[in-house]
Amino acid sequence: MSTQIVLLVLLPFVAGLACYLLRASFLRALVVMITGVILAVASVALLSAGPVSYSPGPVLGMSWNMLIAVLDFALLGVILFYGFKHDNLLIKVFSVLQMLGLVILELFWVDHSAPVSAFYVDQLSMVMVLIISIVGSLICVFALPYMKEHEEHLHLETSRQPRFFLFLVLFLGAMNGLVMANNILWLYFFFEITTLCSFMLIGHDGTEVAVKNAVRALWMNSAGGLAFVLGMMFTYTSVGTLDIQAILASGSAAGTGLLVGMGLICFAGFTKAAQVPFQSWLLGAMVAPTPVSALLHSSTMVKAGVYVVLRMAPAYAGSFVSDGVALCGAFTFLACAALAISQSNGKKILAYSTISNLGLIVACAGINTPAAIAAAIFLIIFHAVSKALLFLCVGTIEQHIGSRDIEDMRGLYTRMPHTAWITITGILTMLLPPFGVLMAKWLAIESASGQLVVVTMMALASALTVVYWARWAGTLLAAPGDRQPVAEAQPALIRVPLLVLLAGAVVLSVASPQVYEAVVAPMTPGAANPIEAFYVYPLFAVLGLGVLLALRAARRSRAMTYSAPYMAGSNIGMATDGTWNGPMNQPVKVEAGNYYLPAMFGEDRLTTFVNVAAAALIVLMIGGAL
Amino acid sequence: MLTTILLVLVGLVLAPLAGGLLAGIDRRLTAWFQSRQGPPVMQAFYDVAKLFGKEPMASNPWQIFCAWVYFVAAALSCVLFFLQADLLLIFFVQAIGAVFLVVGAMSVPSPYSQVGAQRELIQVLTYEPLLILVFVSLYLATGSFQVSDILAHETPLLFQLPLMFIVLGYALTIKLRKSPFDFSTSHHGHQELVKGVLTEYSGPYLGLIEIAHWYETVLVLGVCALFWSTNVLMMIVLLAVTYMAEIIIDNTMARMTWRWMLKYVWSVGLGLSVVNLIWLYAKI
Repeated sequence: MSTQIVLLVLLPFVAGLACYLLRASFLRALVVMITGVILAVASVALLSAGPVSYSPGPVLGMSWNMLIAVLDFALLGVILFYGFKHDNLLIKVFSVLQMLGLVILELFWVDHSAPVSAFYVDQLSMVMVLIISIVGSLICVFALPYMKEHEEHLHLETSRQPRFFLFLVLFLGAMNGLVMANNILWLYFFFEITTLCSFMLIGHDGTEVAVKNAVRALWMNSAGGLAFVLGMMFTYTSVGTLDIQAILASGSAAGTGLLVGMGLICFAGFTKAAQVPFQSWLLGAMVAPTPVSALLHSSTMVKAGVYVVLRMAPAYAGSFVSDGVALCGAFTFLACAALAISQSNGKKILAYSTISNLGLIVACAGINTPAAIAAAIFLIIFHAVSKALLFLCVGTIEQHIGSRDIEDMRGLYTRMPHTAWITITGILTMLLPPFGVLMAKWLAIESASGQLVVVTMMALASALTVVYWARWAGTLLAAPGDRQPVAEAQPALIRVPLLVLLAGAVVLSVASPQVYEAVVAPMTPGAANPIEAFYVYPLFAVLGLGVLLALRAARRSRAMTYSAPYMAGSNIGMATDGTWNGPMNQPVKVEAGNYYLPAMFGEDRLTTFVNVAAAALIVLMIGGAL
Repeated sequence: MLTTILLVLVGLVLAPLAGGLLAGIDRRLTAWFQSRQGPPVMQAFYDVAKLFGKEPMASNPWQIFCAWVYFVAAALSCVLFFLQADLLLIFFVQAIGAVFLVVGAMSVPSPYSQVGAQRELIQVLTYEPLLILVFVSLYLATGSFQVSDILAHETPLLFQLPLMFIVLGYALTIKLRKSPFDFSTSHHGHQELVKGVLTEYSGPYLGLIEIAHWYETVLVLGVCALFWSTNVLMMIVLLAVTYMAEIIIDNTMARMTWRWMLKYVWSVGLGLSVVNLIWLYAKI
């Protein structure tokens, strides 16, 4: 198994460097595609392993622990450099404090002779590795044609793609390292690499707004980094080990030190997962090219945040911290679902929906029962696939119609039929049974039913979700019936990732009982299989049959002439686009818009309140442990 | 096995018949309140039969697709209820129908159906959390989301969950599209909305939607019935009183705006739910 582990972590670093050094775009494409295939194969090969520990041997007489420590400081140095370059006080303070903490930890506290295995791979790690390596690789492949066109739009003299792909591919290695790390210092190291990578990628286009948003992402994630260091310090003083498995085994009875440490590490996870009040960095990350958004939102970065919270769940089970995590998560779920309603920018809707779903994952980790943990893992899997798909769809649409506003996507079905139906199906996989995301939501609500506040917030949020998704799906279809869809040309490297992700979302949902048996059941021994109560197969069968029936009925209607929409008798002839006879006998075309309810859910109305309330909840979560 | 088949048949065949009959009785009673004669009790069936006899017309194929999915989801959720499945699962299957009804209305560029679709979404937004909370309260009182387990509960739930029954009443009024909440499709075609989400549907497809609506009516009334499931007679009395109250409210209230509905129903509904849920927590 050790080969796969080394390959999954190191190959992306090497491939990233190759992308940077090989300046021919053909070679770069080759490197990205081959790396993607190898990563995917290696991640699947890893799946057959049971829980396994692994520590790489020393290189050139230097132990890896030492090397990681040195690299930690180098990394913080780079971040500090950017703090000075962009003259941001917060980044400077946070990185200097992190260095101080690390010095204390590494030089004075940690007993370096205690053996700690560097990597530990269990079911949760495997799930994460699969998502990172397969979904992440697909996004990297999608980025190849996308970035070519992106740069053509920008009229760049020298391509910035080498740097772009360096960080994009390297990101996958850092994520793989993060989710397999067993030494908490290693986890921290990879955690910081993802911070730097996302900073580089968000600021990629180099525009003023891109730099501004990248800097914001950096300071927020540095705050998380600092919390992580503090969390490690508290944990170490309490439990006296760097071994994550040992920390988890010590459990929440280990004392206040551990709980405060866990509270701080969860806080670090919150910043990375863009939980309120840190949502603004992920929203700002929209300025980056779409593959970056897709990567940050689905398989990397934010998933690192929820992974950390979920990984540590056994250590704070049954404590006040756990309840605090559940509250914070549920509040994020609700707040961001509400904010998503007021948005017409497609990418922003997706961003809020991501944060919202991550909130649900965090809430499940906080509820901390086997069923809730199962729900969290299901959500991680299904959200990654569906959200990656939706981001790539929006990217494709944006390059075609020049807008990411869903009002401009009105009747997209007639202009881009292929992309439109993929997008609609993607939306449905986020929203309706029997698809995985909803199954996870069902499990989450069932397991939250003992917690009054959490379940109330989930109930409200779940309803809000329906509004923004259903509205978008409907908007894509809003076109006159007699307008025939035009054929849509699409490069293979765009079409294939879209179709693979769509197939993944559907097939994984069908296979959810097997997914449960394979990855969730071993982690929650003794728990009854809740998926059995979901009637997965009968539901798929009946609904599938229903959809086929509906399609047949719709197809048979092609022979009939489509009627004009009702215009209270003012129609002009048989115009099916809703043109009517307006004032002065002039033809007026119907224009419709969605309700975005800004007076109730507008960003300017809610954000301040949401941020203050969320900050208070986080204080409660960490403070309650004291 | 035989019981299962029987229950499926009850859910599939008898439920819409009961729903249609109820619609007819509703019209008779409403007419009586308004000192009119009213149509025959079977009028709802005559109407739907007539709709199926009409020439199929639609503005685009998506409408037809959506009408069918709405129908299938409504029937399926009703059948699942009679099979005594998990309440949340039934609810989510029902949500498929709600979503496709909106999507179908949005697929036509007509102002009436567009506005109706947006308003329908707000109706969904209003009743969904309340229904989930009703199910959660049933879980807290009985320890299960499974209809079969809830039916096995020995005392009438109404005594433990009186406020939740009122909350369910709000959801029922919205689902039945009754005043003051009838603003996504109105019973009266001459109003500013015409027929809202249903404006663009006609003939057999409107018939399908009508039958789907009967399924949904029976489903929500079925949930109401869970509140006194220990005694068949009392269950019938409870349902009769509830439906009568719906008709009276419908006839005495004017339609309100969606802003009012969202704020009013959420605040009152959440308030009542929280009080009743705390009550249950205190007992556990």
